[in-house]
Amino acid sequence: MKPFEYTKPKTVREALSSVTKHSHYIAGGTNLVDLMKKQIDEPDKLLDITNTLPDQIEVKDNGVVIGAMVRNTAIAVNKAILESWPLLSKAILKGASPQIRNMASAGGNLLQRTRCPYFYDLTLPCNKRKNGSGCGALKGNNRMGAIIGYSDACVAVHPSDMCVALAALDAKVNIRKADGSEETMNFLDFHRLPGNNPEKDNNLPENALITSIFVPKNNFSKHFEYLKLRDRESYAFALVSVAAALDMDGNQISEARLASGGVAHKPWRWTKAEAFLKGKQATAENFAEAARIAAEDTAPLSTNAFKVPLLKGAIETALHTCLTNKA
Amino acid sequence: MSYFFDSKNTKQMPKGRVEGIAKVTGKAKYSAEYDIPDVAYGVMVGSTIASGRILKMQVEEAMKAPGVIDILSHENKPYVSGFSGMKEMPDNRFGLPVFYTDKVYYNDQPIAMVVAETIEDAMFAASLVKAEYEEAIPETDFAKKVKEVSLKETENDRGSVGAWENAPYKVDQEYTIAKEIHNPMEMHATIVQWKPNDKLVLYDKNQGVNRVQSVISSLFDIPTDNIHVISEFVGGGFGSGLRVWPHTIAAVMASQQVKRPVKVMLTRPQMFTMVGYRPESWQRVKLGADKDGQFMGIIHQARNNSSKIQGFSDGITRVTRKIYGFKNVKTEEAIVELNLPMPTWNRGPGDTTGCFGVESAIDELCHELKLDPVEVRLKNIAPYEMETGLPWSTNYLNECLEKGAELIGWKNRNPVPGSLKEGDYKVGYGVAVGMWGSGRSYTGASIDMQKDGVITVRTAMTDIGTGTGTGMQNVAHTVTGIPKSMIKIELGNSDFPKAPSQGGSRGMASVSSAVYAASLALKRKVAGYAWPDKDANSLNIDDISLSDKGVTYKDNFVPYADIFSKNNLNDIKVEEFAGPGEERKKYGFCSSAAHFYKVKVHEKTGKIKVDRMVIVVDAGRIINPKAAANQVIGAGAGGIGMGLMEEQLVDFKTGRLIGNDLAGYHFAVNADVPLIEVSFIGKPDPNINPSGAKGLGEVGIIGAAPAIANAVFNATGKRVRDLPITVERFFNA
Ligand SMILES: Cc1cc2nc3c(=O)[nH]c(=O)nc-3n(C[C@H](O)[C@H](O)[C@H](O)COP(=O)(O)OP(=O)(O)OC[C@H]3O[C@@H](n4cnc5c(N)ncnc54)[C@H](O)[C@@H]3O)c2cc1C
Ligand code: SF4
Repeated sequence: MKPFEYTKPKTVREALSSVTKHSHYIAGGTNLVDLMKKQIDEPDKLLDITNTLPDQIEVKDNGVVIGAMVRNTAIAVNKAILESWPLLSKAILKGASPQIRNMASAGGNLLQRTRCPYFYDLTLPCNKRKNGSGCGALKGNNRMGAIIGYSDACVAVHPSDMCVALAALDAKVNIRKADGSEETMNFLDFHRLPGNNPEKDNNLPENALITSIFVPKNNFSKHFEYLKLRDRESYAFALVSVAAALDMDGNQISEARLASGGVAHKPWRWTKAEAFLKGKQATAENFAEAARIAAEDTAPLSTNAFKVPLLKGAIETALHTCLTNKA
Repeated sequence: MSYFFDSKNTKQMPKGRVEGIAKVTGKAKYSAEYDIPDVAYGVMVGSTIASGRILKMQVEEAMKAPGVIDILSHENKPYVSGFSGMKEMPDNRFGLPVFYTDKVYYNDQPIAMVVAETIEDAMFAASLVKAEYEEAIPETDFAKKVKEVSLKETENDRGSVGAWENAPYKVDQEYTIAKEIHNPMEMHATIVQWKPNDKLVLYDKNQGVNRVQSVISSLFDIPTDNIHVISEFVGGGFGSGLRVWPHTIAAVMASQQVKRPVKVMLTRPQMFTMVGYRPESWQRVKLGADKDGQFMGIIHQARNNSSKIQGFSDGITRVTRKIYGFKNVKTEEAIVELNLPMPTWNRGPGDTTGCFGVESAIDELCHELKLDPVEVRLKNIAPYEMETGLPWSTNYLNECLEKGAELIGWKNRNPVPGSLKEGDYKVGYGVAVGMWGSGRSYTGASIDMQKDGVITVRTAMTDIGTGTGTGMQNVAHTVTGIPKSMIKIELGNSDFPKAPSQGGSRGMASVSSAVYAASLALKRKVAGYAWPDKDANSLNIDDISLSDKGVTYKDNFVPYADIFSKNNLNDIKVEEFAGPGEERKKYGFCSSAAHFYKVKVHEKTGKIKVDRMVIVVDAGRIINPKAAANQVIGAGAGGIGMGLMEEQLVDFKTGRLIGNDLAGYHFAVNADVPLIEVSFIGKPDPNINPSGAKGLGEVGIIGAAPAIANAVFNATGKRVRDLPITVERFFNA
C-alpha cells in the first residue's frame, strides 16, 4: 500500500475544506481499504468522516432520513425501517457478512465499486480503472457482467444489495458539494451507465459528501421481497437480485415496484414491467408476463446468457413471494 | 514447546481435541507466527505473462523503495546445487526451478522475491518490480486443447472390450470438472533461519516435515540432519502441503543471500497460483450391463491439465479398476499441458474426479435399466481386490450402502425424475459411493515418561487438522492405561521420530501402529525397572498396565517414584517404528463410503439446495469418533463445493486466474451445508495394523459430487455432466 496521510475532521465544513486532488473520504473503510491494499486506489490523504456525518435514523411525516454514517446493520434492525420499509432491511441483510455490515455506512454502500474481477487485477486491461486501457471482461470472462445498459467500454455491474431496494423505493440522496451548497438527487439519477466514461460510477460531484438518504412513505410494507440469487447462499455477490414490492387492493395491484441488482452498471428499475402490473390482478400469468417484459430488453454477453432466464425466474418468484411475505 | 495443553491444568483436560484449547485461545503457533529476531520479510513477485521469456528484470525503482534489502531473481540468484546442474526445462523433479530460468511457463510464475525490513515495505516494493518480456501466445483453454492430446493406455486393463460389445444396455458419456483450489485457511508460509555450520531451521506450513527436509537437503546439498523443520500446527492442507513449493525454496535462497532469517507468507491470490490445485479434467465413461444390472465392462478415458513446466497425472481412472468387479476394463489417460500454474493432489486426488464420471454413468445406466441404483451397486461390488486378485482384508461397502439407504429413507425416493415436490422445490434423492486404497507407511513414535508419570508422545507427522494428535493420545491411553490427562502430544517436528507426509488417508493407519508399538515398549521398559529380577520380555504384556501412579503386574504394584529413585532415572524413553509387512502380500485394503443425499431444486430459479447428506463410512476401527466425524463432515462440505460452486476461471487471453480470492472463488459456507449425518461401520480391520484403523480422510469426498448430480437428476430429470453445477450448467443441461 502506498503511504498516506490521515485526518479526522469534526465538521462537514472542515471535511470539505480539507480535500485535496488525491484525497478520499473514508467511512467504514470496508471497500476503500481493500482497494488501497490492492493499489487500485492510491489516495495520498484520507479524511475519516465517521465523526463528521449524521448517524441517526429520523422518521418524518413524509418518510425517513437515514444519516450517511448509519451503519448498514443499524438500518437493517431499526424498528421504524422494519415496520415501514422492510424491503430495505431485507436487502441489506442479504449483503456481505455481519462483520462487514457492522462497519459499512449508508453513504459508503452507495459508493462501493464494482466487483468485476478484471477491475481487481492490475495486470489486466480495465477502462474503469484506467480509461483507454480496454475492457478485459468484454471478450473475456463476463459471467458476472451486465445484461442491460452496458457499453463496449464497460460491462460491469453495481454490486450493492441495499441500493436495489433504495432504487425500488424511489429514494433521494442528500449531498453537500465542495462549495458548501446542498443538493438533493433522485436515487435513480445517482448512479450512471458506463457510456464512454466507465471510470465514473455515479453523478456525485467531485469531493461532494453524501449527508443522508431519504426514503419516502409508501404502501409497500405489506407485500415485498428481496430475492438474491448467487453462487452460494451467503457471502457472495448477486448473479441476479430482485427487489419487488406491491401495493395491493384485494387481489388487484395498485402499484408495483421492480428493481434488480447484478444486471447493470447501476441498480436497475424495470419500469415497463411495473407499468404492466399496475391495475392487474395478482396472478401467475401476469407475473410471468411482467418477467417476460423485463427480460425483453436485455442482451446478455458472451458468457452470461444464463442471467436472462435467471432474471425471469427471479422476478416471478419474488412477485409470488410478495403475496405471502407479510412483514 | 508443549502448546497442546497447559501442564498446570491437567485435571481439567476437556474431551475434545488435544490441541483444541491451544487453537481457540490463540496459543497455537502457525508457521508465520514464530517471532524470530532480526527477521526480514520476503514477498514473491509473479510474472504478468503466461508464456515467453524474461528479457530483463526492472528492479531499480523497487530497490530504492523504503526498507528494501535485496531483490532476488534469475539475474542474481544464489548458488543452488540442485538447480544449477539441471538440464533444459521442463524436466525436473522439483517443479519450477525458481529463479533458475528466464522462461515463463504460466502467469504469476514467481520471477522475483523482494526482501525488506517490514512486510509493508516488502509488499510495496514488490508492486514496483517489473520485467521486460518476449511474449508468446499462451495455451490456456483446456476445453479447446483437450481432444488434441492422444490417450495412453494405463497398462492395467482386464479382459477385453470385445467381450461386452453386445451388452444389451450401454451408457457412453463425457464428463468434465473445473479446476478447484485447495484454499486451506492458513496461508502457506516459511520462516528460514540459517545457523552456523550450514545448519538450517525452517518453520514451514506443510503436510510432511521429513519431505521438506529431504527436498531442501538435495536441492541445497546439505545433510538432512542439518535441516530442522517445524510444522507444529497446520491450518489445513487438503494436499497443498504435500510438495515443497517455490516460495519455500526462495525463502531458503533469500535467507542465504541476505544472511538473515527470512519470512515469506503467500497472499490469498498467490494461494491460487503458487501451491497447486485440482486440475481441470475431461472423462469419457462407456459402461455396459446385462438386463439385471450386472456390469459387463467399462471403458474409462480421462485427461487432466498440467502446467507446461511439469507433467502431472491425477490418476483419474484408478478408481474404475477398484470399486466394482468389472471383468473387462479398459482405462486410458493423458495430460494436457497448458500455460497454467502447477496442479497437484487435492483431497481424494484422482478418485474424486474419476468417481464423478463412473458414479454418474452408473446412475444413467440404472435409469435406463429401470433398476434401483443401490441394488445395482450392491450386485457389482468387487468381490476381491480386482487389480491384484487378493482377497479383501475387509470391505464393508455393502453395509455402507444398506445403512445409508435406511438412514436417508431411500424408499421415499421415486425413480421417476421430477415426481416429488416440496413447496416450490422439486425434490430428489441420489446415491454414489467412494473407495480409497488403505495405505500404511513406515512411521516412528517415541514416548518419554517423566518422574510424575506424565508421558509425552512424539512423532514427526503433522496434524493438519485431522485429529492425529488426539488419535495418538487415544491409542497411548488405551494401550498403556495412563489417563489421558497425563498424556501430552507433540508432533510436526523433524527432530522427532520419522514419519511419512500426512496425505492419502495414511496418517492414522500409520501413526497409530507406531504409537501402539511405543506404548508396548514403554510398558515393558517400566516393568523391567520395577521387577529387575524378572525377565521383562517374558512377561505377558497384557498383564502389565500403567496408571497415573505406577505400574501393575498381576497383583504387584510399584509406584513410579520408586522406579525413578531406585534406578536413579530422570526419564524413561522408548522409540519404536512400525510399518506394513507380509499382510500386504496377502490382502487388499480399502476404505469406502456411501453417500446418500437429498436435494431440492427451485422450479423457477434453478437454485439447488442440498437438504440432507447421509455419509456412511467403512474405515475400520474408529479411534476417535469426534475427530473422525469431523473429517467426514469437512469432506462432505468440500463435496458440496465441488458439486455446486467451486470453479477457478481463467482469462484465456492472458492466462490470469479470474477472481482469485475468497470473494471471487466460492467454496461452500455454512448456509450451503445441511447437518451432515455421518455414521461409521466401525468394524476393525484385523490385518492392516494392530489398531484395526483404515484411513478416512479421502472417502468423505469421493462420491460426494456425483451423489449431488444424481439427486439433481432424480429431482428434475436434468443430467448435468459438468461440474460444478452452477446455474448456467443447470440451465444448459
Ligand atoms: C468481502 C465483501 C463482501 C461484500 N458483499 C456485499 C454484498 O453481498 N452486497 C453488498 O451490497 N455489499 C457487499 N459488500 C460491500 C459493502 O457493502 C461495502 O463495502 C460497504 O457498504 C461500503 O461502506 P463503507 O462505509 O465501508 O465505505 P468505505 O469503504 O469507507 O467507502 C467507500 C467509498 O465511498 C466514499 N464515501 C463513503 N462515505 C461517503 C460519504 N458519506 N460521502 C461521500 N463519499 C463517501 C469513500 O470515499 C470511498 O470512495 C461486500 C464487501 C466485502 C469486503
Ligand atoms: S467491465 Fe468495466 S470494470 Fe470490468 S474490465 Fe471492463 S471496464 Fe473494467
